[in-house]
Amino acid sequence: MVTNEKAIIALCGRVGKLLLENGAETGRVEGTVEYIGRAAGLAVSCHATMTALFVDADFDTATHLVKVRTKDFDLRKVDAVNTLSRRFVAGRIDWATLESGVADVERQRVDYTWPQKILGAGLVSVAPMLLFQATWGDLALAFGVGIAGYLAAQLTGRHTSTPYIAVGVGGLTIGFLATTLALAGLGASADNIVISALMPLVPGVAITNSLRELIAKHTISGLVRAVDAVMVAGAIGAGVVVGNALAHGLLGGLL
Amino acid sequence: MTYLIHALISFASSVGFGIITNIPRRTLLPAGITGAASWLVYVALTAATHAVILPNLMAGVTIGVLANLFAIRVKAPVNVMYIPSLVSLVPGAIIYMSMKDFTLGREAAAQQGLTKTLTIAIALAVGFVIAEASFNALRRLARRRPQN
Repeated sequence: MVTNEKAIIALCGRVGKLLLENGAETGRVEGTVEYIGRAAGLAVSCHATMTALFVDADFDTATHLVKVRTKDFDLRKVDAVNTLSRRFVAGRIDWATLESGVADVERQRVDYTWPQKILGAGLVSVAPMLLFQATWGDLALAFGVGIAGYLAAQLTGRHTSTPYIAVGVGGLTIGFLATTLALAGLGASADNIVISALMPLVPGVAITNSLRELIAKHTISGLVRAVDAVMVAGAIGAGVVVGNALAHGLLGGLL
Repeated sequence: MTYLIHALISFASSVGFGIITNIPRRTLLPAGITGAASWLVYVALTAATHAVILPNLMAGVTIGVLANLFAIRVKAPVNVMYIPSLVSLVPGAIIYMSMKDFTLGREAAAQQGLTKTLTIAIALAVGFVIAEASFNALRRLARRRPQN
């Protein structure tokens, strides 16, 4: 039904890139690409790391290489690609539908509205870890401070391509606001507000995913994710320290 | 009563993180339930044992089992369920504090924090592996039975 091997490999590369960019695990990416290839009648083998994706079949000497730069999680795209590939492998849609479906997922970005995302960031910023340790007042403040930090990071991310700047600015905003609130006597503990409000930014999920990759023997991907998580945490930590110092320097005498 | 508050806040955390990471709407509720259940397991075991590894391991197993069940139910990749439900358990705050210590020149505290981060992450990840391995074995069993 499908004649052109090159077209199969190219589409497999696009599928793999979509999955990898938006937060799927390496093993899942390789599996999905190989299933699609096999269902299209070509014995494709795929190797994925966090930075590149190789797709190859035995019909000629060339290997298809796709460069990948991971972005923020967009799990809706992962889910959409997964649904398409499951339907294709089960024979419920044909090659042309799969191809246009993948193009649709690449092009459009279905997302929650900004008010919903802001509410989401606020909810994440009230950390269950601090329940009955921080005061309720501090947790309520963290709700607002966390939203400010998340928005600062998102807005900065849109205007710069330098990595790690966005999370650093998020950390700075949170550190500055939390220290200011504590100095003004509104918050009981700046540290508790900071820790709670950082929840949307902090790379905890990344470090756990890194361990999952390592356990699944995707060693390179695991190490890339781990180092990336440490870099993100470093940027946030430095941001908070600077924000803290700024608040003390600017307002220490006044309040 | 305390457990009810824990359940509510961790449910809200997971749903909130689900919105930020843009998971499909039909998976928001399962992700929230998984997050709340695993957090309750963690809180109860921490109160009972005061250990670090066991509560995290069992919370990881809880997420692994529930997320796999829900993934079949709503037909979504498991990762879509894993990531939001992990958010409360994950050692994000500790890795941040450790890097802050590093920035401030407190190297001993920084190393201690990194080791603790690694301990928690390993416990969670191993919990996932245990859950997935036993889940796959059960699924094979369930699939074999109708044919006999």
